[in-house]
Amino acid sequence: MNGLWADTAVLRLQQTLDMAAEKQRVYAHNLANVNTPRFKRQEVVFAEELKRAGAKLPLARTHKNHLSGRQPEEIAYRVVKDTSSTMRTDGNNVDVDREMALLAMNQLQFNAAADVLNRRFSLLRYVITEGRG
Amino acid sequence: MSLFSSMLTSASGLTAERLRLDLIAGNIANARTTRTAEGGPYRRKSAVFAEVLDRAGRAGRGVKVAAITVDRTEGRLEYDPQHPDANEDGYVAYPNVDILQEMVDMITASRSYEANVTALNAAKSMFLKALEIGRR
Repeated sequence: MNGLWADTAVLRLQQTLDMAAEKQRVYAHNLANVNTPRFKRQEVVFAEELKRAGAKLPLARTHKNHLSGRQPEEIAYRVVKDTSSTMRTDGNNVDVDREMALLAMNQLQFNAAADVLNRRFSLLRYVITEGRG
Repeated sequence: MSLFSSMLTSASGLTAERLRLDLIAGNIANARTTRTAEGGPYRRKSAVFAEVLDRAGRAGRGVKVAAITVDRTEGRLEYDPQHPDANEDGYVAYPNVDILQEMVDMITASRSYEANVTALNAAKSMFLKALEIGRR
């Protein structure tokens, strides 16, 4: 039972959904500004943070009644401005093809996370209904 | 809610590109207009886009049309003494609208509009997918 309720997968998946939603917002912003002079595209960076959060060691317990502290760290992501490039003479650096690809990838990632979350919940339902659900 | 705000961001792009398309349509329609309320031939209009940020000034919230500018450059002169708006030398001042440029602008505006529609649809399908979580 402990494995089903106390695992961090649901929280992680929830954060993945949050992050995908934030990315979607940023890509929409980039696409909306595809014709804005001097606009520089934004990007959500999180990969390093995700790695670091995953590698966190468990909290030290000095007493047997201490909680294990298995709450996962909030996966931090930042929105950064990509000023490294220029696509056009007006200083704009939005590459529509690239944004479209990123948009599609993000959508798939969101759908994948939602699917896994669904399976997680149907697993719980299966247990709750004693295998009849 | 992030997905809703991303839909609003895409909607701001749609509004801005549509307004640009309206201005282009106006420019093409008035490509040979020699009379205006302010006098003289029609002058080509264009939209100036500006990025919109949230109150903190960091996260992007879309795009807006900051201004509609009027192109004050001189248009072409055509020799047509019979024209009612011809000057004393027989020349008629026509608008500074370049049809080719308007056509190119029209295509970029319409493609950008489509890009925003795609982003909006992506957000919508993500939202619908999220509604399926926990459903039997």
